[in-house]
Amino acid sequence: MKKLLIALSLAGLCGLAVAETPQQILSGLQAEAKQADPSFAGFSADRGKEFYNTKHGKEWACASCHTTDPTKEGKHAATGRAIKPIAPSANAERFTDPEKVARLYKRMCGEVLGRECTVQEKGDFLTYLLSVK
Amino acid sequence: MVQKMKDKILVWDWPTRVFHWLLVACFAGSWITSGSDRYLLIHVSCGYTIFALMVFRLLWGLAGSRHARFASFLRGPGAAVGYVRSLLRGPAAHFTGHNPAGGWAIALMIVLGLITPIFGWITYNEWTGDWAAETHETLAWAFLILVGLHLLGVIVGSVAHRENLAAAMLSGFKRGDATEAIPRAYGWLALVMLIGVGLLWWWSMSV
Repeated sequence: MKKLLIALSLAGLCGLAVAETPQQILSGLQAEAKQADPSFAGFSADRGKEFYNTKHGKEWACASCHTTDPTKEGKHAATGRAIKPIAPSANAERFTDPEKVARLYKRMCGEVLGRECTVQEKGDFLTYLLSVK
Repeated sequence: MVQKMKDKILVWDWPTRVFHWLLVACFAGSWITSGSDRYLLIHVSCGYTIFALMVFRLLWGLAGSRHARFASFLRGPGAAVGYVRSLLRGPAAHFTGHNPAGGWAIALMIVLGLITPIFGWITYNEWTGDWAAETHETLAWAFLILVGLHLLGVIVGSVAHRENLAAAMLSGFKRGDATEAIPRAYGWLALVMLIGVGLLWWWSMSV
């Protein structure tokens, strides 16, 4: 039991070591966008909202599962399962694990757009999610 | 005696064969559906089925017919290496049931077939951070590599023994001594398995 506790706390520490805030992840995207394009004019919550609610040539929009209100619990369009809110204001776990964020951007952009998202799209999207309370 | 060795005898009972081909279908199905959430329900149903099949195989490995039992084909690593060496250098050692290398592949596939769906289930429920998803993927790749090795072994073994091992897993008949034939095929149990898997899918696909 003691060993288990030690193991769990070690795992917790490792988790903490890589954890970031959504703001830090957004800053990272900003830096990436600036590096790729010196004339980068910043991210836009409005553009992110538009992106979130629109289909991009495939069957689903982000809102198809996460609903038009990112602070609400979502419902998977294929399985019907509940999805925890995607907005950090409603779900403190969102956008805190950089590896998970990277994997989900890749997977979900493939799902909705059939390609990887641009840094601009990722940043607009997160800016929008951070704007909803 | 030589003539006797060429007899076609029943080696694989029905549950073993149905297990094998259901596993093939679900393994292929889970890989095909792994790319998109559109097919997540099918993917998860494949995972449930693989897990259930492996639990069955564990029990059947203890209580099944002669050649399905672990005691009849699980051997040490030395035996597996020796068998592969005999395949490459000849004369190829012939086993009526699973050969020792195949036995290792089966044991590892059962382990992976139990663990991979568990990590998939953890991912599906969003119980952890990213590590469950990554572990699930890594295990699935390991499983795929093992399946590749298994297929390679089946091809090499089939050529070496001039015996279509894949067809044997379909018909149940292999070459062997008449005394090694299994007396019963347990067709009823295979039927129960098919009904069980059908019910599992009916349950897991209804949302």
